[in-house]
Amino acid sequence: MSVAFKSAVDDAVVDELRAIIGDDDRVLPNVSSRASRTRVPAPFPVHRWSEFMPDVAVLPVSAEEVSEVVKLANRLRIPVVPRAGGTGLSDGAVPLRGGICVDVKLMNKIHEIDLDDRTVTVGPGINMLKLNEELRPHGVFYPDDPASYPCSLVGGRIGTGGWSLLGSRFGHTRDLVISMQVVLPTGEIAEIGDGGGRKLRKSSTGLTLKQLFTGHQGTLGITTEATLELVPRPELEFAAFFAFDDYMKAHRTTGALTRSGLATLAGVVLFDEWKLRYLRRDDEAYIPQPPWVQAVVAVAMYGTRAEVEPASKVVMELGRADGGKYLGDEISEGDWASRHDRYATPLHGRTKDGQVVPMSWHCEDAALNYSVLPKVREEWHAIVERYIERYGIFDDWGMFCYTNGAYKPWADYLVEIDVGIWEQKLDDENWAGWVACKREIAEVALKHGGSITACHGATREGDAELVPTEMGSAWPVVKRIKRALDPNNIMNPGKQMLDEAYK
Amino acid sequence: MSIFRLGDQKPPEPRRVTDDVVERFAHVYEVEPEKMQTFPQQDLPAWDTHRIVAARWDHLSWMHDHFADDVLVAGLPSETMPEEEEAG
Repeated sequence: MSVAFKSAVDDAVVDELRAIIGDDDRVLPNVSSRASRTRVPAPFPVHRWSEFMPDVAVLPVSAEEVSEVVKLANRLRIPVVPRAGGTGLSDGAVPLRGGICVDVKLMNKIHEIDLDDRTVTVGPGINMLKLNEELRPHGVFYPDDPASYPCSLVGGRIGTGGWSLLGSRFGHTRDLVISMQVVLPTGEIAEIGDGGGRKLRKSSTGLTLKQLFTGHQGTLGITTEATLELVPRPELEFAAFFAFDDYMKAHRTTGALTRSGLATLAGVVLFDEWKLRYLRRDDEAYIPQPPWVQAVVAVAMYGTRAEVEPASKVVMELGRADGGKYLGDEISEGDWASRHDRYATPLHGRTKDGQVVPMSWHCEDAALNYSVLPKVREEWHAIVERYIERYGIFDDWGMFCYTNGAYKPWADYLVEIDVGIWEQKLDDENWAGWVACKREIAEVALKHGGSITACHGATREGDAELVPTEMGSAWPVVKRIKRALDPNNIMNPGKQMLDEAYK
Repeated sequence: MSIFRLGDQKPPEPRRVTDDVVERFAHVYEVEPEKMQTFPQQDLPAWDTHRIVAARWDHLSWMHDHFADDVLVAGLPSETMPEEEEAG
């Protein structure tokens, strides 16, 4: 079988793309346009960027244009990589085999705001912050809130199967997309929902396809329009941070808060001892905290004043019932606000001898159950410590555990270990070291019954090769679906070991 | 009316806060200069430090405004640094 395995873009293809798009300014074969679509914010060796450039970028403005581009690529077996904000942390939008980058940033229109059936229909290139600024006069809100809230786009959130800071209250991206229009790998345009109607949240007709088209990392198609959930704009936000002298007290308090039954609970975050060590060293909010502060639990709620005000009193009781101490209004308010925008933080780390050097943020995530968090924390930090000792370019910035279940915050967590990487030092040997470290971290997650990723996607070296292991007996089903929908493997080829579907 | 005087823009001498951190202005922390030998810290005039701090607070306030009409806090002093709250 002939499948797309390397670039086949030449001048004739560029001419065909120009004929489809009809605007030379939106067909970009120049080096700077390609180079700027080569990577994502996660650290990567600079000397290897050139291996991951698309051969050409296109900026379509309609589903019909996307469809024609994909049909061309399918006919000529050219890889297609969709790209929205390019803010993912796991290379989902990075072309592994060149080809055509379909950049959806110009598909950024609001097509319809329906205040009766509570939906908004948008193009995939719109950003949540901008969308919510438009929705605000109507008293409604689209509550998808990643740490990249000011810069990520709806299409990327759908492709990645994103996680939201407010997910315990309002759901995550896949819960907030009601239906979508998708260009399939063969170029057909399909309306994908929970059944028939574009604005229906629940149906029992046929197969439920919507979940299949969220979180596929661009391997099954390109979302060209999405109908999204609207919720009432919250009247009130409440955030409270509690300090603990012992991690296990913080762990128990996290459990108690998530089992509280408070419907306005949007998220609970557990900071471990390594995170506190890092924050006390390098974060202005925590530097003056006394040495006994070893762990922190943060809670946030959103809703009407009638709900949030009384619930805040329950949170203050639960947060302090097992030795927690309130960190104060300023840190509670300010630190929570900063969680919406982690990409705006300039970063530095420390070498083994404590010297400050510029470091980039590598956030390694997993999905894990509540009961295994203490053990995984010990194993993950031990792994990172070994690599710090050996390579000297990494820094352990600690772990967060965020509530991960949509509407059901009590059992599973998005768990992250943040590692600073001195990116300027990433030669081939150091990069191989980091990939090995990532793989060990992912293997621990699997060993404890978790998933290797809760939200970033398993599309970066170090994770990707473990996808078949995690999928287990479902892996043959996954391969059959991929091959059926994408017979020539043109959609984001090389990702998540899906090439195995064609062997 | 404020008058810009160049001499006023020289930051005050730092006060040590921890082994890793010094402080020149209240609640504005800097890395201990001995730990910035590989990449030395650039000199900042006082106005620039104040601008960065103010911009950060503006940004956080702006972020809050996107998510809810009002922000509720417990209205209680810090229980980890009570002496600082009282002093403030």
